[in-house]
Amino acid sequence: MILITGGRGQGKTEYALHTFQFSEAELTDGGLCAPEAALSARCITAYHALVRRLLADGRDPVAFTERLCTENSDAVILLDEIGCGIVPLEKNDRILREQTGRCGCILAARAETVIRMVCGIPAAIKGELP
Amino acid sequence: MMILIIGGSKCGKSSLAERILEGFSGDKYYIATMQPYGEDAREAIARHRKMREGRGFETIERYTDIGGLVLPDGCGVLLECMGNLCANEMFRPEGICDPAETIVRDMRSLSARTALLVIVTNQVGSDGISYAPETMEYIRILGTVNARLAAAADCAVECVCGIPVILKGHLPC
Repeated sequence: MILITGGRGQGKTEYALHTFQFSEAELTDGGLCAPEAALSARCITAYHALVRRLLADGRDPVAFTERLCTENSDAVILLDEIGCGIVPLEKNDRILREQTGRCGCILAARAETVIRMVCGIPAAIKGELP
Repeated sequence: MMILIIGGSKCGKSSLAERILEGFSGDKYYIATMQPYGEDAREAIARHRKMREGRGFETIERYTDIGGLVLPDGCGVLLECMGNLCANEMFRPEGICDPAETIVRDMRSLSARTALLVIVTNQVGSDGISYAPETMEYIRILGTVNARLAAAADCAVECVCGIPVILKGHLPC
């Protein structure tokens, strides 16, 4: 499993497309896909959006992420960092932010490689750059 | 030795801080700066207390004026977190003040008295949202405090998805 993280718009998708030679069709959008599709997808983009949708459906994103790590351990997963701001006023926004952080820690612990993108530049913060 | 750990929400800052202090054999103190108001604060406090169970920390709740805290020389201290301490010092009943200088002085003096000081702080300036002026001021002041503490620290680390990314110096573990 490879996790690619970083803030919004840092070049995660472009990096994944270029580095792993995925076709656009091989990208599974966490903001749109059926959650179960992520369990067999080669590359999941916007995983933070999937966390949001799972929470909105009353599901536990931490349990889902653990299942994903077991069932789809070769996936490339793209996750926006969303926790580096002011604590949101709304309880649901706080839960989303915290659960996204926890899921990121789970994915990173299970991934062989974690890449952080800043300004389009990849840095391996775990393992080595592919 | 002073170590600064920075990161966003739920990125593994506390776990890393506790791991660093695990290898410390002297007396260990946990300075908790979060005021137990509201359901979220109580949940967070309960969760962190559970994480520290059996790890040999004595917990001290101290919301302001860390400079006035008396601790035995040569102990190990985990202060969590600077984001709360900064807010507590800044938003006072008598009005808003800029506590950056006081906080940095207090941390330097605490560090001089302790063998190992680990400070957990928050990255709050990267959500791009325009808040009310006092919140914008809080973001600016906490950023200043973080920068000055990182300059004073032997080691500064950013936590990303539970992974420590070294910004300065070396982690002792």
